[in-house]
Amino acid sequence: MSEQSPISDIPEALVSAALTERSVSITLDAELYPLQAVYGASYVFLDRCYVFLDRPEPGRLRATLSAKQAVEEPEALRQLVGEFANELLSCAWRHQVTQDNRVAIETVTVQAIAGAMGEPSLDDLADFDFTDEALDDPLGIAQSWEEKHGRKTPAEAEGERGEEEASA
Amino acid sequence: MTTTATELRFHREVYSGEAIDQAVKTWSNFAEFELSESDQHWIVKLTPKHEPAAARIIGEFGNYVLGLTVDRGGVQ
Repeated sequence: MSEQSPISDIPEALVSAALTERSVSITLDAELYPLQAVYGASYVFLDRCYVFLDRPEPGRLRATLSAKQAVEEPEALRQLVGEFANELLSCAWRHQVTQDNRVAIETVTVQAIAGAMGEPSLDDLADFDFTDEALDDPLGIAQSWEEKHGRKTPAEAEGERGEEEASA
Repeated sequence: MTTTATELRFHREVYSGEAIDQAVKTWSNFAEFELSESDQHWIVKLTPKHEPAAARIIGEFGNYVLGLTVDRGGVQ
């Protein structure tokens, strides 16, 4: 096990560096930084570092970055973890924006695809099966109050009376 | 030439098992692999075939698994 040392200006509880292994570990709150954001930031650093992710305890994520090139100065590790943290924040924010706008994005995308497909031809309309029930409503939820409880017309009332007599 | 084996533990909630399988196939020319699993981890025991490049093989293998996991959209 290599000796862990803190990096200046960064909370010791979050980041620890192992100079002998030229690696740095950063522990993250999974609520602040969702896994998808950590994936995104890690992916950006794959060409510069060896990146290992772990979940040391529930609700926490740990990213360990090992520099591919030799690192002599602690300042280089500090810069590495700082850039990673910035990228992580950017990815987390973009993830949040995507989540917030997901419905709008999907709606616009569907409309764009539907528009690109063009209007249906007469053959398409001729082949369309209109017999399929669009809505199955066994509890009558889609009925209006008048349809369900309103006063019946004389013809309807006569019809119901006839059905009751027949069943009796 | 024999090299020492290194055990990598990939957390199941972070790494995709399919990604590990695919990475092991791809890297089988560079290292020997033994796969096992625990409740929380996929365990890969890796023995590089080229001692001078051992650290690089281990690191790049880890990156490759992570890249495949991200490409798959994470753990399903």
